[in-house]
Amino acid sequence: MKVSFPYMGTTVVYKKLLELLGHDVIMPPKPSQRTINLGVKYSPEFACFPLKVIMGSYFEAIEKGAEVIITSGGHGPCRAGFYEQVHQRILKEEGLPAKFMVFNSMFRDFNNFYDNIITLKGKNSWLKVSRSLLLVYNMTKKLDKLEKQVQTIRAYEVKKGETTRAWEKIQDLFDRAYTKKELEGAYAEGKKLLDDIKLIEVPEEKKLRIGIVGEIYVVMESSINMKMEELLGNLGAEVERSQYLSQWITYNAIPSFINKTHETEILEKGGRYLPIQIGGHAKQTIGHIVDYSERGFDGVVHLMPFGCLPELVSQSIVPKITEELGIPVLTLAIDEQMGTANNTTRIEAFIDLIKGKRAKKIS
Amino acid sequence: MKEYYLGIDVGSVSTNLVVIDEACEVHYSAYIRTNGQPLDSVKKGIREMKNSLPSDIKIKGVGSTGSGRQLIGVMVGADVIKNEITAHATATAHVVPDVRTIFEIGGQDSKIIIIENQMVVDFAMNTVCAAGTGSFLDHQSERLGIPIEEFGAMALTANRDVRIAGRCTVFAESDMIAKQQFGFSKAEIIKGLCEALVRNYINNLGRGKRLEPPFVFQGGVAANIGIKTAFEKEINHEVIIPKHHNIMGAIGSAILAKEYIEESGAKTNFRGFEAADLDFEPSTFECGGCSNNCEIIKVEMDKRVVAMWGDRCGKWTNL
Ligand code: SF4
Ligand code: SF4
Repeated sequence: MKVSFPYMGTTVVYKKLLELLGHDVIMPPKPSQRTINLGVKYSPEFACFPLKVIMGSYFEAIEKGAEVIITSGGHGPCRAGFYEQVHQRILKEEGLPAKFMVFNSMFRDFNNFYDNIITLKGKNSWLKVSRSLLLVYNMTKKLDKLEKQVQTIRAYEVKKGETTRAWEKIQDLFDRAYTKKELEGAYAEGKKLLDDIKLIEVPEEKKLRIGIVGEIYVVMESSINMKMEELLGNLGAEVERSQYLSQWITYNAIPSFINKTHETEILEKGGRYLPIQIGGHAKQTIGHIVDYSERGFDGVVHLMPFGCLPELVSQSIVPKITEELGIPVLTLAIDEQMGTANNTTRIEAFIDLIKGKRAKKIS
Repeated sequence: MKEYYLGIDVGSVSTNLVVIDEACEVHYSAYIRTNGQPLDSVKKGIREMKNSLPSDIKIKGVGSTGSGRQLIGVMVGADVIKNEITAHATATAHVVPDVRTIFEIGGQDSKIIIIENQMVVDFAMNTVCAAGTGSFLDHQSERLGIPIEEFGAMALTANRDVRIAGRCTVFAESDMIAKQQFGFSKAEIIKGLCEALVRNYINNLGRGKRLEPPFVFQGGVAANIGIKTAFEKEINHEVIIPKHHNIMGAIGSAILAKEYIEESGAKTNFRGFEAADLDFEPSTFECGGCSNNCEIIKVEMDKRVVAMWGDRCGKWTNL
């Protein structure tokens, strides 16, 4: 069966798993202005921005021949909880019925999880399935490791754009790895690519570290967040995201009693300001801001999709956190007007603010 | 021979040029309407400046700011290209060293900047909603048939208070008409409008921020005494208006250029007053490289490409 999935972050990973299980994978194109336009056109006007972009992505995937769409279910009570119903219905109305397969955390609905696994498993042996899962999990971990290096060294590269180009090559290398051995090879080669990049020496006390937090889709998908990581990197700041794929898998697929994950800790930190789960990633957002502050980061960029209620709530809590912990936070609304000059101005001013804080003057 | 620094602020409405000396005193300033032609307005500004300054003047550094900062920076050879927030804050902290809150209202946008110990600690920008900017007033002054220059003074002559719903320009307009029919005078309506603008501004930009004195009010709208009074009423505190309130961005960028040159000891990149006569050609084209179809801005000088931007993938910028 021809399967596809929403485009988000390092997509080679989902692609790989499905390929290993013998499925015909239709890669959705990276979200572009066209994707957004399609999404905006067919989605309800008041829907949140990620819902619209993903909608556009599905249209493009189906154009390319996708029959089944695999996605993860979201956390209620925000709109993510009924994403796939909305998407499915719109596609149907447009005469493009695609089958949806929704993965929720297996702790929440094991039966559904199991059914999906059986469908995906097809005629593969369980041994093959578990091997594939393991390979993909390792791949995610390795990719995340390299990505973290990318996010650090980009700030100091001598030749602008070199790190980003290396990172694209790395994803390509991983895309071509299908066995454990090939994976090791891809990792080694990727690591070397990054290690070979010439860097400017910057004394430790001059380094800037910025955390990026917010709703998962706009945080993970660079094509719709003005390439925030690159933008900050080019302005000389190291970045770290609140979400990485491997963390997400660990949190959603490994029972918490044997595995106290980073995310559990983050949620505890968030609980100080936001005691209940209000959906989306609001609590994580808050928790991560607290976490970055405790870890000595210089500032946080908070990405809020247009029309996102949970993040609107977290935005309203931000001033209190800044006041108590002293960490500067810049909230940016992300909508269909990508890469506006105004947001660039805000980012530049924010970096100046942070540098000024260090130098004790406006700079 | 004295040494000077040039600051240029290119906004969508106006272009300002400022020349300051080593003590950051303003020696020359000019205001030109941008009219959607940032290059031409700067060229015009530079020509005028050349004619009114002594010929042996030495420009040691140049800064640019405003929405056209990139383009103009390339054209004149700016040493420092800075965003508006930093430029404004720099200038204000220079004139009012202990400033804590800056209200800035221009023709098309507005910002708030919070300062502590001469450092920017928070800021917000309004770029979408006209109800908190000067264009709100321009619009109403047209409707009332009263020139905007007389607006402020007239507001002060009002006897009664009238509250005009100012959440948005459209509402304000219909509410204004209704209040006129109730028999409120033009002066009272104008006062109400000034207060509506200030309320909007504070609701929009001041949300979640602690506003502490000293307050400085700058930008084109600061010339309007009616708005100043409305601010003082709203926050219940005196508001300072700097002498050069409408060219603070340009002053700030000149100061930043000065600091940069002094700290680095670098020689300026300034192309000289001849920059006004350079054959400088910006153009745009659509890159068909992928479905983003980015609009790329290309700047050529004497048929040589000197800068490109606007791409989403770095294909052109990193050329
Ligand atoms: S978290 Fe926000 S953006 Fe994500 S689905 Fe919920 S409302 Fe939409
Ligand atoms: S500049 Fe890059 S992102 Fe933009 S259309 Fe061309 S190839 Fe695509």
